[in-house]
Amino acid sequence: MNRENMHTKIERVLENIERVMIGKRDVAELSLVALLAEGHVLLEDVPGVGKTMMVRALAKSVGAQFKRIQFTPDLLPSDVTGVSIYNPKEMEFQFRPGPIMGNIILADEINRTSPKTQSALLEGMEESSVTIDGVTHRLEKPFFVMATQNPIEYEGTYPLPEAQLDRFLLKMKMGYPEVAEEMEVLNRAQRIPPIEALEPAIDLVELRELQQEIKEVHVDDTIKRYIVDIANRTRTHSSVYLGASPRGSIALMKAAQAYAFMYGRDYVIPDDIQILAPAVFVHRIILKSEAKFEGITAEEVVERVIARVPVPVQRLVK
Amino acid sequence: MRTQKVQKDAATFLLYALGFLLLWEWLRPLKELTDTSNITVFLMFLVLSLMLAFFGVSPLLSGFIKGLYIIYELHYLYYDGSFFLTSWIPHFAGELAHNFGLLAEREWPSMTNLFRSLLFFTLLWLMTYLIQYWLINRRKIFIFFFMTLVYIAVLDTFSPYVANGAIVRTVITGFAVMGLLTFNRVLDKEGIKKEASLSRKWMVPLALLIAVSAGLGFAAPKAEPIWPDPVPFIKSYGQNSGGDGPGIKKIGYGEDDSRLGGPFIGDSQVVFRAEVESRHYWKVETKDTYTGKGWVTLQPEEEYLPFGMGEDIPVSSFIDNGAVETVEEKSSVLTFMNYPHVVYPLGVRSINAPPFITFELEAATEKIRTLDGGRPVSLDQYELGFEKPKYSVTAMKEAASKAGTLPEELMSRYTQLPEELPERVRELALEITQDQTDWFEKARELERYFRRSEYNYSQTNVAVPGENEDYVDQFLFDTKQGYCDNFSSSMVVMARAVGMPARWVKGYTEGDFKQSAGSGLRLFEVTNNNAHSWVEIYFPEIGWVPFEPTQGFNNNVQFNFDTAAQNANRQEAEEPKESETPVKPEKTEEKDLEKPSFSIQELWESMKTFAGKYWIAFMISILAVAAMAAVFYLKRGRWLPYYFIWRFKQTKEDEHFPKAYLILLKELDRYGLIRKNGQTLREYAKYVDSFFTTKDMSRLTARYEQLVYRGILKEGSWSENKELWENLIKKTIA
Repeated sequence: MNRENMHTKIERVLENIERVMIGKRDVAELSLVALLAEGHVLLEDVPGVGKTMMVRALAKSVGAQFKRIQFTPDLLPSDVTGVSIYNPKEMEFQFRPGPIMGNIILADEINRTSPKTQSALLEGMEESSVTIDGVTHRLEKPFFVMATQNPIEYEGTYPLPEAQLDRFLLKMKMGYPEVAEEMEVLNRAQRIPPIEALEPAIDLVELRELQQEIKEVHVDDTIKRYIVDIANRTRTHSSVYLGASPRGSIALMKAAQAYAFMYGRDYVIPDDIQILAPAVFVHRIILKSEAKFEGITAEEVVERVIARVPVPVQRLVK
Repeated sequence: MRTQKVQKDAATFLLYALGFLLLWEWLRPLKELTDTSNITVFLMFLVLSLMLAFFGVSPLLSGFIKGLYIIYELHYLYYDGSFFLTSWIPHFAGELAHNFGLLAEREWPSMTNLFRSLLFFTLLWLMTYLIQYWLINRRKIFIFFFMTLVYIAVLDTFSPYVANGAIVRTVITGFAVMGLLTFNRVLDKEGIKKEASLSRKWMVPLALLIAVSAGLGFAAPKAEPIWPDPVPFIKSYGQNSGGDGPGIKKIGYGEDDSRLGGPFIGDSQVVFRAEVESRHYWKVETKDTYTGKGWVTLQPEEEYLPFGMGEDIPVSSFIDNGAVETVEEKSSVLTFMNYPHVVYPLGVRSINAPPFITFELEAATEKIRTLDGGRPVSLDQYELGFEKPKYSVTAMKEAASKAGTLPEELMSRYTQLPEELPERVRELALEITQDQTDWFEKARELERYFRRSEYNYSQTNVAVPGENEDYVDQFLFDTKQGYCDNFSSSMVVMARAVGMPARWVKGYTEGDFKQSAGSGLRLFEVTNNNAHSWVEIYFPEIGWVPFEPTQGFNNNVQFNFDTAAQNANRQEAEEPKESETPVKPEKTEEKDLEKPSFSIQELWESMKTFAGKYWIAFMISILAVAAMAAVFYLKRGRWLPYYFIWRFKQTKEDEHFPKAYLILLKELDRYGLIRKNGQTLREYAKYVDSFFTTKDMSRLTARYEQLVYRGILKEGSWSENKELWENLIKKTIA
């Protein structure tokens, strides 16, 4: 598969999603970026804006196996990872894989379940493997988790700890559609749900190939320095209690590679960094409580940092 | 903007402390200059107010505390008895009411001290609020700092308050405050956390900078003020009289010479214009008594010798006998300034003025005053007839032997010296003249002594003798810098020290040549800058002979060196020519003195003279060059792009692509399309393209991006992109 081909494929995936999700090109792009960069996505928005539809469309477009876990307070880790059950016929324990053993997983309302169950999922996300009864099961690649979280209900929820949030490559919001777009959504809802008619644009083999190819996208030292500068600036910001970690910098670089690739470039430019930095950094920054009281949000901090850090316009001379 | 919360860290405390120090500088002079006797009370109030502000005490409570403090202190200052005995309160209230009444009636001067103190407390209250506002909310204090400096400078200049320490303290405090505030401002703006390491990075250089600069400033030699002390200037302007007495004066003709010294500033106001046949100095008056600080006249009582038109003028000059050859000449004077006296050349014989004018000669000074019906009047125009002398050197050489024939009165009057005159002046005079026996050569030797390079002509850097110093001694041995008064006074004193009768002459030089007036006449313009003083020495049977000790000046006095004199002084055979050379005498003189070797000192001297002469031209050309450079720079939009196009057009090397692109960025920035710090090249290119309605910038930028962020410099990329680049840079031409 040559590179030209790859771009058309990516474009087709995006078109596929857009067929289902009207006016959500940016969210689709970011989701695909996370998938291509082998990361995971945390979607934070109110119910009913199409989070599930988005994941399903993505899964269908890449021909991946789609699993969904609806997190509830009484969900157990084994409900996620799977469980060994004694088979009386064969006189031995048999492993029944849980929903995590899929390619694309929707972890709906992840903050509704107990930390124990959350960590079972998160371990799988981080290690690409789950350990059950002392046996480690490798997860099939690609493995992509899209977790959703409802920001308006706090009662009976277990907010993800900061260390866990770090596991997500990107965090984003869906947002409500525009008036015209929402009308179009209504129009389509009258017919058969288009999701059913969606054909895969690429298969899993191609997806893995793409994931490999993305690692080859050139990130110049100039750009690396720019990433580090931005990360550093979040650490020294007066409203920030804890800034972006080096893992955050790595995440930004990887996401930028995927994004550049998506736009047909084999090198990263500062624009990629600027577009992705909010999605990568916002959930990795902990604000000071004073700043929160003053109504400052992490988005604002990242935006200000991006506006202040000088964009490199010359090659870094070592 | 976010709301500022109360910060109680050490840095804020430091800010308040420094703010207090600045305010303190405003209060310090009060004790000295006003009848305020108790400053501490007010200082305590400042401390209290700033502390309350620092701890963020609520306005209501802090207002109550401050009010209480004020009332307590007012009670303490103006009432006897305990504060808690309420008996004083009605009296206090009554006094307040009375004063408010006075305020309403605008009877401000009669307000009582108590009320004035109250008002002052109120003022300080306002000031502390302002300080808090500047330090914490605005984070800017330059205006207050500047005002403090102005306040101190004004007090130092116009009042007895000596602000030597205050200015140093204020500068240190002010810079410290501004440094701290700048740090805070930058942190706020960039949204950077205040960290110890960061603070150290800023504070250590700041402290070092202030310490080093203050130390340097403190240790460095203090230059004399470039501008003269404005106070006497303003005073004299107010009184419409010439600046008199010691200190800095404006050049020009003044009457009081009892305290000489101090710098002069130039004044090119025209005093008169004169049509003359040959160059000569203009005398106004002479002085005979040296006080150690300056010149006065021996006979202070006014004795006038009246004379009319056509009568002999009773001025003492040379004696008309065989020893002095004379040539009759005429000069006419057109005055521009109203002085009730005439300027006249040596050997004046007649004054031709309107017939109703009478003259009188001030016997003590030989000043010729003009009168109209007994009242002093200034002439617009007059003609002078005079005899131009040519002194016989032979006769003058013989004069020494006839010294005994001089009247006792003349000798004692013109060899007067103050008793306090330092002995070394006499010793120097004797040393200079020891090789010579006759008066003429002695005088010449003295005159020549001042042409030495250690003496410098200067109008600005001239000292005033202190209480126990002698004007001449100071110049001869210590400062060696001065103008005509220094040179001429010194020569008179030294001539007197070796026993020659000498006097100090004031007047003007010949002025600046303007144009030829036809029939051998030349028009000269004499300005205040030409005010001058020189020396006359009395030779028996010859009379007064002028000498010119001041560097760079020449009196054009003619001497008749006959053979006898030449034989006697072979080594000075070249001298006559020299003194007869009318122009640039100092040059030949120098040559004569230091002929054996060409010295850098001499070159420096001549350069200095040259620079001194043409400094206006220098200044004008420097200003012109600077102005041209400024215009050139401001209009760079008109030519700089052409230069860049020319520079990059010839090359085909690809390495020039990034350089050219960066230059394009700069030029676009200059054009007004400013790229923000966080703006990427792509966004900027879109902005530029939308401005110029092209696509060139985006295309060029896409290629440049590949170079910068991919590291690929394609072969021939410059040649390809040159056109795009040129199109864009041409658009930046203003």
